[in-house]
Amino acid sequence: MSGANPYFLAAFVVYLILLMAIAVWAARRTRNVMDFWVFGQKMGPTLATWSLIANFVSAVSVIGFTGAVYASGYSLMTHTILGLMLGVSGLYFVVGLVRRLNVLTFPDLVARVTGTQAARPLAGSVLLLSGWLYLVMQLVGASLLVTAITGVPYQYMVWIIGSVFILYTATGGLVSVAWTDLVQGVIMVGAVIIALAYMVVDLGGLTEINTRFAALDPSFVDPTGGGKLSWPMIGATFLAFFGTIFTEQDMLIRIAATRDVRTAKIHLAASGAILSVFYALLVLLGGATAVALVGSGLGVENPDAAFPTLITRYVPTWIGVVLVLGVMSAILSTTDTRLHAIGMTVARDIYSYFRPRVGEAHLMRVSRAATVLLGLLATAAAMDPPGTIIMLYGFRAVLLTSAFFLPVYIAIYWTALDGRAVLAAIVAGAVVGLGAQVAGGSIGPVPATFCGVGASVALLLVAHWALGPRRRQETVLAGVAADEGAG
Amino acid sequence: MKPLGLPLSMFLVFAIVILAGSLGAIHYLIVHVLLRRPFGDEPAGGLAGAAAHGERRTAESREGGA
Repeated sequence: MSGANPYFLAAFVVYLILLMAIAVWAARRTRNVMDFWVFGQKMGPTLATWSLIANFVSAVSVIGFTGAVYASGYSLMTHTILGLMLGVSGLYFVVGLVRRLNVLTFPDLVARVTGTQAARPLAGSVLLLSGWLYLVMQLVGASLLVTAITGVPYQYMVWIIGSVFILYTATGGLVSVAWTDLVQGVIMVGAVIIALAYMVVDLGGLTEINTRFAALDPSFVDPTGGGKLSWPMIGATFLAFFGTIFTEQDMLIRIAATRDVRTAKIHLAASGAILSVFYALLVLLGGATAVALVGSGLGVENPDAAFPTLITRYVPTWIGVVLVLGVMSAILSTTDTRLHAIGMTVARDIYSYFRPRVGEAHLMRVSRAATVLLGLLATAAAMDPPGTIIMLYGFRAVLLTSAFFLPVYIAIYWTALDGRAVLAAIVAGAVVGLGAQVAGGSIGPVPATFCGVGASVALLLVAHWALGPRRRQETVLAGVAADEGAG
Repeated sequence: MKPLGLPLSMFLVFAIVILAGSLGAIHYLIVHVLLRRPFGDEPAGGLAGAAAHGERRTAESREGGA
């Protein structure tokens, strides 16, 4: 604690108190399980938009992306960020159909297109594991970052952050999460704009920053990192992150929480536009960070240390406080949403499948208990960090995209597809994609994502041809698809 | 040509990312605001209640011939 900056520490404490106050106020509006899960399906455009933005930008974005730019330049824009942004826009174009299918979660959607209710707990289990791992990663990154900034020892910081978001998520469900997200999203975007504006003035303008960044290494301003990234790898990374947008449990939950198709469309349209500008600014801030630190002799060995170093040793205290608030917003808004999503996965996708006749009050208790238990387990796991942040992030993206993306979304539109073919394709995509990733990220020259997605599509077509069209889900989906085409 | 001090290819990547993220907003503006095309209403009554247990989906899959 000897290195703790009192201003940063005070901002951290005040912020947590403010957040808890908002969460307690919002929790009083949570009256039943539908409120807890999906905001009673009454979420308006502003709340939905800022909730998505706040959830989207995580500790991984702040530390990992800024660090990646510090180490490798702007090529991150060519694959990861382009994939994410095109994914948000892509989801906009299918959201009308998804919203009208009246599904609450992604496993609901899988069950709908496969015509098999057992797909709910199966898909739910995969998403639960994925979501929980993601939560652990977020906690690790978040706690490392806040520890570096405030000086509070890591083992305490993990539990402080863990306790806060577990408490307010379990208390108010999506109502608390969404209202705190609204505040966090605005703070986060504002913090990055203010910080970049300061850096632009400090370093003599954006052109000067980019010129000096290119002078550090010309490959930093090359879309392929000076040829370090092959086009197949760029394509595979792009596809992996593009696909995750369609398969994230929290994205489907928020779509279900919107009050109508119009709101669902607005929140994705507005979020995509705001996030794309935000990420462009964040990446430029990463470049400015590299220029500032290297230029002032504060260069770091570990890229993940770049952003904390900028805050603690380069910018003035008031900018540091603004950034601490932005960082805290990025951390808590993502962890609360993911924790809510995995708690709902347990209650809605797994528990209610095996206990279909239990009352809503019972499901609410299960949701809350799962939220607390999984949150505590994630916090405990974060005490012994698993691997590096970016590696696990990519690992998870490959799995979700390979297994679920194309089989599920093709089946929404190709209504005559046999449900068993869709299930087989999901399993094949998961096994091949994950296997290739574990085996080193590729099979021969073919990246893992291409292997997984290719296997799932190939098996989808072969199984459909072998089984013949059973038209299991045709009556359910065809009408909705026709409406979508007309609307 | 180096807009904002970036090689043109890198500058274009930034522009493409912003355009990619804004496709939904552009579509919404043109189709739903300017052309005033409807969104299509959802089923009357919404999902509350039944959705908590998935009865609708269970019933539908049975009807579908599971």
